Amino acid sequence: MIRSSEDIITKTVSRILAPFIQIFALYVIMHGHYSPGGGFQGGVILGASLALLLITHGLQETKRRISEKGVAIFSSAGLLIYSGIGILCLFLLGNYLDYGKLASLLHVAPAEARSLGILGVEIGVGLTVMAVMFSIFLDISSGGKLPEDEDL
Amino acid sequence: MNEFFLGAGIGLFVLVFFVLYRVVFGPGVFNRIAAISAIGTKTLIILLIMGIVYGRVDMFVDISMAYALLNFIGTLAAAKFLEMEKQS
Repeated sequence: MIRSSEDIITKTVSRILAPFIQIFALYVIMHGHYSPGGGFQGGVILGASLALLLITHGLQETKRRISEKGVAIFSSAGLLIYSGIGILCLFLLGNYLDYGKLASLLHVAPAEARSLGILGVEIGVGLTVMAVMFSIFLDISSGGKLPEDEDL
Repeated sequence: MNEFFLGAGIGLFVLVFFVLYRVVFGPGVFNRIAAISAIGTKTLIILLIMGIVYGRVDMFVDISMAYALLNFIGTLAAAKFLEMEKQS
């Protein structure tokens, strides 16, 4: 179990660095079309910024700020965005994830509708990957102790 | 100009192996952690030089930035693991 310690250097550095990591992760998600990256890679970097909080501030402080229920809600919300966009294309008489059909709903050209559809799917993938990565890291760092244990 | 960057990249690639010696045989854990961090920094510069050689620096800058961030977090996690070993 990771305990909080009185390291002023790591706490300050991580506090300064965390917003830049998250902005870079959003950049990776947004520019997934024409540069390396995409939903999965950006989600991993977002999850790394949350892991930085867990490393520097300890398990108890992190669980007080981010509950496991919130992590579960985020992971399923990302999946809902992904499959929701896919099924919306089915209702608009296209194939699954056929973004071109979204043009009639968004009132834009089909090419732009494809770009926006891919962006929405990547946002969903990024949310899910962030939540699941953080959930795995949280479970590993608790050292096998269940949340019901008294001394957690 | 391209040959200069290629030579610099090959030089850095050879230097990685000298640092790798410190990782494998280095006395103590702190030498190893510092050496792994140095290898991460060298890899970052090699990635940028590869970007210059291939003429796509804008793409490789993204990869090297992600590498730098994860390298920092990895070093911090290793240090935290050692602290936990000391407590228990």
